[in-house]
Amino acid sequence: MPAALEGSQAIARAVALCRPQVVAAYPITPQTHIVENISKLVADGRFDCELVSVESEFSAASVVLGAAAAGARAYTASSSQGILLMTEVLYDISGMRIPLVLTCANRAVSAPLNIWNDQQDAMAVRDSGWIMLFCADNQEAVDTTVQAFRIAERTELPVMVCVDGFTLTHTLEPIDLPSQEDVDAFLPPFEFERRLDPARPISQGTLVSPEWFPEVRHANYQALLAAEAEIEAAARDWAGLVGRETGALVEADGPGEARTGVLCMGSIHGTLEAARAAAPDLEPVRLIRLRCFRPLPLAAIEAACAGLDRLIVLERAIAPGLGGVLTTELRAFFADRADAPRIYGFAVGLGGRDVPLETLGRALASSAADNPRHFAVLDLEPEKLPEEDR
Amino acid sequence: MDHQCPDPDRLRLRQPRFQGLTSGHRACAGCGAAITARLVLEATGPDVLVANATGCLEVFSTPWPESAWRVPWIHSLFENAGSVAAGMEAALKAQGRDTKVIAFGGDGGTFDIGFRALSGMLERYHNVLYVCYDNEAYMNTGVQRSSSTPHAARTTTSPPGKARMGKRHLKKDILSIVAAHHIPYAATASVAYPPDLRKKVRRALAIEGPTFLHVHSPCPLGWGHDGALSIEIARLAVETGMFPLIELERGGVTGVMPIRNPRPVAEYLRRQARFRHLFQDDAKAREELEHLQAIADHNIEFYGLTGHGPDALDTEGADTAHRGGMRWA
Amino acid sequence: MSTQITRGAYALPGTALAFKTGTWRTQRPRHLHSPAPCHGACPAGEDAQAYLALVEEEDFHAAWQTIVQANPIPSVTGRVCHHPCEAACNRGRYDSPIAIHHVERFLGDQALREGWDYPLSPPPAEAPRIGVVGAGPAGLACAYHLIRLGLNVDLFEALPLAGGLLRTAIPEYRLPKDTLDREIERLLATGIRFRPNHRLGRDLSLDELRQDYPALFLGLGTQRSRPWSIDGATPSDLREGLDLLQEYLEMGRIPEWRSVAVIGAGNTAIDLARVLKRAGVEEVHVISHKAIPAPDVPPEDRMPAIEREIRQALEEGVRIHEHRGVQRLLLRGERVIGVEMVHMKKLPDPSGRLRRIAFEGTETLLHVEQVIPAIGQIMDPEGIEPLLNRWGFLGGDRWGAIPDQAGLFTGGDARGDHGMVSEAVGDGRLAAEAIQALLSRRSLEPPEERTPLAFEHLNLHYFEPGQRPEPALLPVEERTGFQEVEGVLARSQVHAEGVRCFSCGECMACDNCWTLCPDSAVLKARERCQDGSHYVFDYDYCKGCGLCAEECPCGYIEMVAEG
Repeated sequence: MPAALEGSQAIARAVALCRPQVVAAYPITPQTHIVENISKLVADGRFDCELVSVESEFSAASVVLGAAAAGARAYTASSSQGILLMTEVLYDISGMRIPLVLTCANRAVSAPLNIWNDQQDAMAVRDSGWIMLFCADNQEAVDTTVQAFRIAERTELPVMVCVDGFTLTHTLEPIDLPSQEDVDAFLPPFEFERRLDPARPISQGTLVSPEWFPEVRHANYQALLAAEAEIEAAARDWAGLVGRETGALVEADGPGEARTGVLCMGSIHGTLEAARAAAPDLEPVRLIRLRCFRPLPLAAIEAACAGLDRLIVLERAIAPGLGGVLTTELRAFFADRADAPRIYGFAVGLGGRDVPLETLGRALASSAADNPRHFAVLDLEPEKLPEEDR
Repeated sequence: MDHQCPDPDRLRLRQPRFQGLTSGHRACAGCGAAITARLVLEATGPDVLVANATGCLEVFSTPWPESAWRVPWIHSLFENAGSVAAGMEAALKAQGRDTKVIAFGGDGGTFDIGFRALSGMLERYHNVLYVCYDNEAYMNTGVQRSSSTPHAARTTTSPPGKARMGKRHLKKDILSIVAAHHIPYAATASVAYPPDLRKKVRRALAIEGPTFLHVHSPCPLGWGHDGALSIEIARLAVETGMFPLIELERGGVTGVMPIRNPRPVAEYLRRQARFRHLFQDDAKAREELEHLQAIADHNIEFYGLTGHGPDALDTEGADTAHRGGMRWA
Repeated sequence: MSTQITRGAYALPGTALAFKTGTWRTQRPRHLHSPAPCHGACPAGEDAQAYLALVEEEDFHAAWQTIVQANPIPSVTGRVCHHPCEAACNRGRYDSPIAIHHVERFLGDQALREGWDYPLSPPPAEAPRIGVVGAGPAGLACAYHLIRLGLNVDLFEALPLAGGLLRTAIPEYRLPKDTLDREIERLLATGIRFRPNHRLGRDLSLDELRQDYPALFLGLGTQRSRPWSIDGATPSDLREGLDLLQEYLEMGRIPEWRSVAVIGAGNTAIDLARVLKRAGVEEVHVISHKAIPAPDVPPEDRMPAIEREIRQALEEGVRIHEHRGVQRLLLRGERVIGVEMVHMKKLPDPSGRLRRIAFEGTETLLHVEQVIPAIGQIMDPEGIEPLLNRWGFLGGDRWGAIPDQAGLFTGGDARGDHGMVSEAVGDGRLAAEAIQALLSRRSLEPPEERTPLAFEHLNLHYFEPGQRPEPALLPVEERTGFQEVEGVLARSQVHAEGVRCFSCGECMACDNCWTLCPDSAVLKARERCQDGSHYVFDYDYCKGCGLCAEECPCGYIEMVAEG
């Protein structure tokens, strides 16, 4: 039975259903409602966990690291500056193969200070060894959160569930919350084989010399690649249990004759869908949503792009001095593939600039040339720029 | 009856005290931090989880695939021993287990980069014993100065020279800061007084709530003395008043180790190369010596360290040797 | 050693033991038992450190058994010994020396009270029988050690009772007869065949003895006073010190003098002075060319009498004239009416030999009714003329073997080179060992010279200061008769001295080395190891830092170069 819930509230409820024993909370806009909701659930006795109100995001990540290492299911959430602050810990967690779930409420990264939504924060930590899943809407955020715990605990890799800040976190939507029974059936209690235990006193986080380090790194790399199977399995099993599809690695949808694809991550997918539906005169477009960003599911992406001449990547981040993040990664992948589409890359909605329905048309129009321009900010308003920056 | 000396390999398994840190670690000969870790774990026993910040202790004890630890142990980063320990404690609480959590950090990882995490852990009243082994500089990275480095000491980032006399700033009074969190127990200890250290560990273990031990741990390499003198130098630090042994509860002083006959600080400083520049014929050097003596005098006065009784070299018998073994250990 | 990485690179516990840090060493610790200075200084060879350790552990019986390994008469020596052990005691340089002498007396007396027996069994009947002539401390000790070593003994003594000077010349206020009797009784009960009233020369001949016994020990003592005259004159009624003392102790009376000057600075002079006081002589003077012992008096200038005896004598009203000699006797006819004293000191001459120098212009007169020389004893040559050396004594090497006299041994005063009771006891033991070696055709190894533990090797931080206890003394006004002047320590005081002992050079199992090793490379053993300690160095891991040696309170660990 769907209920009208704010995204943050729904995510908080989903987390509670997963029964983590330790939650670390440090507030940062726009994640605050998540931790506030969790706090209220705990205060009302509806969520039995150790809620640790830490003194910084670095601590938040460290607390959940310690908690999971000690064998407790643990959770935290952050955003933007907080994600950057805890970056060191994120690498540490994945390097030690500690299962964790973290919600990132995607937000721009300062300077300049900006509290609104883009995905720069997640991009900044894309090599930290975490599984990164981007949710299209709040229902998916709820379902993905549940799946994330299972994926993390089976792969022994940490999972970052990305939700667009404000756009999702602060939006009221009709959400179907799963039942406790369904979640319990899906998510068995956390049994961490390498947990810290006086009965088996191992040492975690050792110093690894050049003699062994490449192998450890390789193993992590392989683990992430292998996680694709778990991510798909989790989506499949969850769908089987509750009857809702969340998408697994990549979703693609469009008329068979479409030769142009528009690829994005996160909530703008919904905008693009609405735009396509509202403009039937537009050329046929296949809308491709990348749900799983790390590991980058190249085979699935290739399949989703089969038959396309043109692929437009609309991303919510920018790599100064380089261009696009996702764009660059896809261009690199497709560089030596046969039948690769021409790839156009744009940043859109940086710093929370509104992404209107017209964006789709504009993207198509901006991708006409034979030779794709390197990268552009699609919704740039050049008159605001001083001469030197045009 | 005198017996053939027992075989060490078998004897090692039959030691009457719990050995949480084995031999084979890569600490320098005479390392004070190694003694600290050993003694703390002897007092805690095996039912602990340990979070260890980056630093000498962590690096010399866990070169993969080897570990010298016999307790469950995790090293995360330099600045988060306090938070990792907090997380472990939360997990144990949630699981209903009463295993104690110990955090180990050097002075760098405690006074400086780990200060935030420590403060948060204390404020949130986690049931964690935080042990800072204080060798008074960033020793692991090559003897750079920390806020714990004593005033006027030489380090690689506070070298003496024409324009400077070593570290400009004073040693951070970490214990007062920790105590200002009004935690149940905070104390200083020294490797020169093992029974006192172990007693304080046990005291802290028995408390439900955050506790803090600041243990003076000489570093032969960084302080510039022979490894054989680590205990002597630690003892001198206490006997001169440079490192007072005190206990604070809820912010108030509840115990001190008195010094019957305080020694002049020069006796302590003279033995260490890191203070050698203070003994040159120079007005500034002399001034700094006086300053250090004044600091020691202040400590003695402030904490009421003056002991009573007949003339003695030591601190009221806290380290008296007894035939048959250490008492109250 | 693992060949494959682990997930997250975790490590298994205690695996660092695979890495033998012992290879880093350039020096290694080892245990070194050094003799304690008290042990080195004891002429009888007692290891005071060893029995003080047992006292600390409150095993007084074992402590006494340790003493009697060397000295069979601790209740005697615990009263009359000059305790060089205490002068050598390292604790003396810290606060005050351990009261070893008083501890020995306590243990000796307790043994008598408890009826403890020597830990030895009688020798087999077929073991060789050795002759011992003289049942003074040297002869008694020799007889005892011969029994201990499994030999039989015939002990001859000229007097009806054993004891020698212990009985005849030491007043009861120093050594009660009852104590002496019981010590001797226990000693003789070990299976010695005691033959009193057998005097060498009169009842025994040397040749007979040499035929009857495979070896002989002659503890004959020095029965005669050294001849004394001033300017060739001697008073007609001259009484020599030791004779007079012995006579008094036996008979209980002396001639009635109002004032007497005793000449000499040794125990005999002091004993005599105190006896004379008790006998009613109003003025008793002691004239000594040496000084009363005090901290600022150099050792060679000190009166050789035992310091506390001198102190007690002074308390009792004896007047001691230091740095004085007698230059002239004042005679009326042939009777003494006084002496002319002069300042006198023994000073080295140009060749370095000490000579008595009288300082002209410092003469004073002292009016006394008698002058008694107590300047030393010499041997009675009867029956032993062929054995005497040119100084009139028997001599003897370190084992007491008389030169050029196979199978003949001596000890005690008869040697001529020392005169203390504990020295006599030590002589007896060494001779017994030499005799046993001789009979079993074993060569005697002189014990290796080991340096006693120097004060500098102790780590004084680990010792609490404390003062030595003194037993109560009889108040001076009560010292009129022969009641024992010195009391005995309480048991708790004795135990406290055991605690105060530094345990120089011997492991006291204090746990310092074990506790402080940064590498856990000192392991504790339940049993005591062959090298004397309770700890084992784990050389696989020891890095040679030297902390153990530095922090060992009793100097039991030394660092030696590796390889």
